[in-house]
Amino acid sequence: MRNEHIIDLIENSPMAAISEAELTRIRAHVADCSPCEQAFAAAQVSAVLLKEGAAESFEPSPFFQTRVLATLRERQSASEWSWARMWRATGALASSMLAVVVAIAVLTFAAPSVSNESEVSLAGNGYSAEEVILNQDGSEDQVTDAQVLNSLYEADEEK
Amino acid sequence: MRRYGPRVFRVASRFFRQRSLVEEAAQEVFLKAFSELGSYEGRGSLEGWLTRIATNICLNLVRSSKRRPELTVSDLTEDQTSWLENKLAANAGEHHHAVERSLVAADLAGKVLQTLTPDDQLVLTMIDGEDASVKDVAETTGWSESKVKVQAFRARRRMREAVEKLLRPRRVNNKAAIDTVR
Repeated sequence: MRNEHIIDLIENSPMAAISEAELTRIRAHVADCSPCEQAFAAAQVSAVLLKEGAAESFEPSPFFQTRVLATLRERQSASEWSWARMWRATGALASSMLAVVVAIAVLTFAAPSVSNESEVSLAGNGYSAEEVILNQDGSEDQVTDAQVLNSLYEADEEK
Repeated sequence: MRRYGPRVFRVASRFFRQRSLVEEAAQEVFLKAFSELGSYEGRGSLEGWLTRIATNICLNLVRSSKRRPELTVSDLTEDQTSWLENKLAANAGEHHHAVERSLVAADLAGKVLQTLTPDDQLVLTMIDGEDASVKDVAETTGWSESKVKVQAFRARRRMREAVEKLLRPRRVNNKAAIDTVR
């Protein structure tokens, strides 16, 4: 036993469950083995700490139940509110999508008819582009030959 | 809630040392229990069902909180240091039942347990602290019994190593004092 360390023995089961025979073997070993003696002392302190730690527990305060029920109600209403909010958001999204679809439909079907009408009205005033550009023989801008000759002779007379 | 409150608080006390944290965890347990009451099939006891919910919630809460990496002597209060010294000097099997000493020890236990993983904390508190059987832990956690045994073995080792670190300087001091007297 002297050469067999007892660390596994003290870690296999809780300290309280170690039998008297095993404890005798452990004590015999730790008398001559310093590392095992330290381990055994630490294991014993650990066992006491765990017992003391487990002995201490808290009891519910008198207001605990009220607090839990209040939190429960709060969470339920928050959850209902979030559902309502989600429904509202979904409704808003659906109506805006509908508006976009209507706008596209209007632009697609109504706008071309407006441009056709403007083409028709342009055609109705009696001028074509060719006429506007090429119509350079208007009578109001025309100078007669006599006027040209007069202006030439007047210039010579002045000289 | 009146009936099962103490049980849920007891489970939460395995993980937390502050009343506010215990209450917070217990509140979450009851809120979850209310919302999932429909899923309770009545196969086991309602207390067992609540205990499982409480254990899972507490494990998750502890997992999400920051774990203390290591406990050093400087983290201990004067009372805790004195408790350790007395424990080291006293007969190893002797238990001190004074209320103040129990509170000091419980606080110290909490500090040491905080350095361990939540699974280690649970298994040690239940088996070594509350004398629960391996089967009880397996039922509460949903682990296999062999997993519980392995977890407990490793947890004891980690706890012992953490305590040994705290005891080492005291052992050196005690030895030096004895040598001086001689």
